[in-house]
Amino acid sequence: MKKISASGFLALSTFAAHAEYQQINLTVFGMDCAPCAHAIHVSMKGIQGVNAVDVDLNTGLVSIKLAPGNNAIMRQFNEAVEKNGFTHKDANVIVRGQLSGSAQAPFLEVTGTKDHYALTPLTGGVDISGLLGKAVVVDAVLPQSGKGKVSDTLRYKSVTEAK
Amino acid sequence: MRYPMVLACAVFVTCTAFAADHGPVFSYATPVNSEREFSFDTGMVGRNGSRGTQFSTGSGFGYGVTPHLTVNAVLPALFGSGSLPESRIVTGTEWSAGASWRFLHSVTSVGKRIESTASLGLVVPGPQQDSGVLAGLHRAPGVAGTLATGMASRSHYVWLGGSYTRFAAASHDRRPDTLSWSAVYGYRPSHLRRGYDQWDYRGFAELTGEHTGAVLSGGVMLPNSSSTTVWLGPSVLAIFKNIAIEGGVQGPLFRDVSESVYGRERVRFAINFSYLKYSSHTSSH
Repeated sequence: MKKISASGFLALSTFAAHAEYQQINLTVFGMDCAPCAHAIHVSMKGIQGVNAVDVDLNTGLVSIKLAPGNNAIMRQFNEAVEKNGFTHKDANVIVRGQLSGSAQAPFLEVTGTKDHYALTPLTGGVDISGLLGKAVVVDAVLPQSGKGKVSDTLRYKSVTEAK
Repeated sequence: MRYPMVLACAVFVTCTAFAADHGPVFSYATPVNSEREFSFDTGMVGRNGSRGTQFSTGSGFGYGVTPHLTVNAVLPALFGSGSLPESRIVTGTEWSAGASWRFLHSVTSVGKRIESTASLGLVVPGPQQDSGVLAGLHRAPGVAGTLATGMASRSHYVWLGGSYTRFAAASHDRRPDTLSWSAVYGYRPSHLRRGYDQWDYRGFAELTGEHTGAVLSGGVMLPNSSSTTVWLGPSVLAIFKNIAIEGGVQGPLFRDVSESVYGRERVRFAINFSYLKYSSHTSSH
């Protein structure tokens, strides 16, 4: 019985914290050789919740897939690049979170983490006011930031209600 | 008094650039370890001349303290009994330890970096005796400073480097000061710019040169004991993920060496094996 209660609690708590990064495609400058890519691969795989990592040396693209329920934060991915002596550029992210703020100044809060972003449209205005207060999935560009920092703005391509 | 000063300099500042790891095998280059990355090198370098052949096996390790600061140590051992001039590019019997600081690091595009690295280290006599002219000398520690600068990309590599090693005197003996320099060009053909889970090959043309000062023995500078040489040759580097194998050979382009003292050095060759152990550690929230 205890086991059933414990697993039920675990399932519920995982469910409650299921806002998270789902996919991150990060452009990295400075990797010239196989050990560079291997170092990035090892560092990214060391982040809790990362399922799969692919590194393309010729494009500098690092593709990261994350497990549902993870609570990884964006700073960890940037740090993994910085500690290997490389530079992170723009990232494409698919992230799940809670939409808050107002229609003029919407915010995405990645629950389970302290990450939160102001949302601005990548192209023409899209009305997302109807999704305020709801759990959403955002497909967006996270602009390049300085060393040790994470941009506080996501430039979204799409915002859809999470299922 | 001189020894403590030499030691203090080496401890408080930073080391010699060991031409190994995953780069050119003879020349100075800029790469340093990632933060928390261990690198292990082992290899063999050889020098052959009219007075015999010397082999030295070098084992070294490095550790990345930060993304731009690596501490390292090299413990060579010498075999053979060639009477050859002092060389800092081809390691001899001295153990060395120090640090390398990549003080300029400009990442300009995908796969491309422009960077400069300074190294400072302590060189101490190992347990083995030298051979030839250097054999009977009382040995003392020295300090080696190195500067390397260059560019790395997916296709081309260019590095220029120079190093100066100064030894302290011991009982009126002193090993010669050595000024070493190198220029290296590397190329990876387009069909070899492949994924990181495949073998990665690069070819280098390595130009190295050294000038060694006169040997001080019993308070007297030995006549004709200074030397100047320039060497050129190809090397190849093969890497699979975190394992690298590199080898190269060089022949003399220019020699200003007393053949009565050192004989005639004909060829240098090297092979090196590197293993890189990366850390997966990242900060928690």
